[in-house]
Amino acid sequence: MNFRARGCNVYEGISDVSIWKHKPADELRIMTKSTIQSAAERWVDDHGECLYRFALIRVRKPEVAEDLVQETFLAAVRGYEKFSGRSSERTWLCGILKHKIVDYFRKLRREPSFTDLEFFSDECLGKFVSIGFWNHEKGPKEWKPEPDEVMHRAEFWQTMRDCLSKLPQKVRDVFTMREMDDVPSKEICAILSISDSNLRVMLHRVRMALRECLEMNWFETIGKS
Amino acid sequence: MPEESYNPSPIGNPSVLARRNWLQTKLVIFIGKHTPKCREMVRILSQSMDEPMPLMMRIKKRIHFLICCWCQRYEEQLRYIHETARQFPEHADEASSAIFHSDTKERIKRKLVEQAG
Repeated sequence: MNFRARGCNVYEGISDVSIWKHKPADELRIMTKSTIQSAAERWVDDHGECLYRFALIRVRKPEVAEDLVQETFLAAVRGYEKFSGRSSERTWLCGILKHKIVDYFRKLRREPSFTDLEFFSDECLGKFVSIGFWNHEKGPKEWKPEPDEVMHRAEFWQTMRDCLSKLPQKVRDVFTMREMDDVPSKEICAILSISDSNLRVMLHRVRMALRECLEMNWFETIGKS
Repeated sequence: MPEESYNPSPIGNPSVLARRNWLQTKLVIFIGKHTPKCREMVRILSQSMDEPMPLMMRIKKRIHFLICCWCQRYEEQLRYIHETARQFPEHADEASSAIFHSDTKERIKRKLVEQAG
């Protein structure tokens, strides 16, 4: 079986050829200390930077981000047998990190801050005419070039990060938990101590704000250039 | 206050129905009255990203889109944001230039070796 073709390049650096004859679950049992070591070291080299940067964007504290990355790798070594190879190694590690981040927020359990309440007062003035339809001048514009064409550029992800960083902390946490970590709405309400209706309003506002930010700072800029 | 009719000018409105003739005008006004207003529709569209939309609302949404290309775009763009947000973690190294220090890497590697042992 060609594990690499299935996006499972975790076997790079493992010199024992006999391993290739086994499924991942069997492999764990025959992996020696040195093979685990070489695989783990490669994970840190190949994916450490990505995981750390994602964690830092989420938690904003370098020391916490480092701890979360370390916990992610430790959990990855412990739970290696669960890695089926259906997704890429990075996707798998990102999945573990997302859980670690949600656990971190669960422990924090903060109260609403002033900036979050301020964000609620923004009613997207001017976007709609008095009877509630879009103001045609300010309605969503067509995104050109097509989203699929531009999303593979590093600049797009930088714009996304910049747009996220402009949001108040709590609404950003709400958005990232819901959209990036795929945490169910009820769980987010419990973690952040907010009501279901507040969550809906926050998600609505944050999506609207993010959409507008991407339009202004990415799609309009790209369209003009 | 007299009710303001939707889309007073067809100029530049690329929606399927845009008051380009008598029949379209009647349809636009009818649909405008019997489907949620855009301000409400964008809330519903956001909610539909988190929970399934009831069948009747899905029908109303499709009909509303006939007179409002902006709400349709809005929905497409919300789905796009949802898709890209899901992929963001794997592109975090492109999004940021924060340095993951080599001594931290070494510390983590040592921990991993300890655990493996």
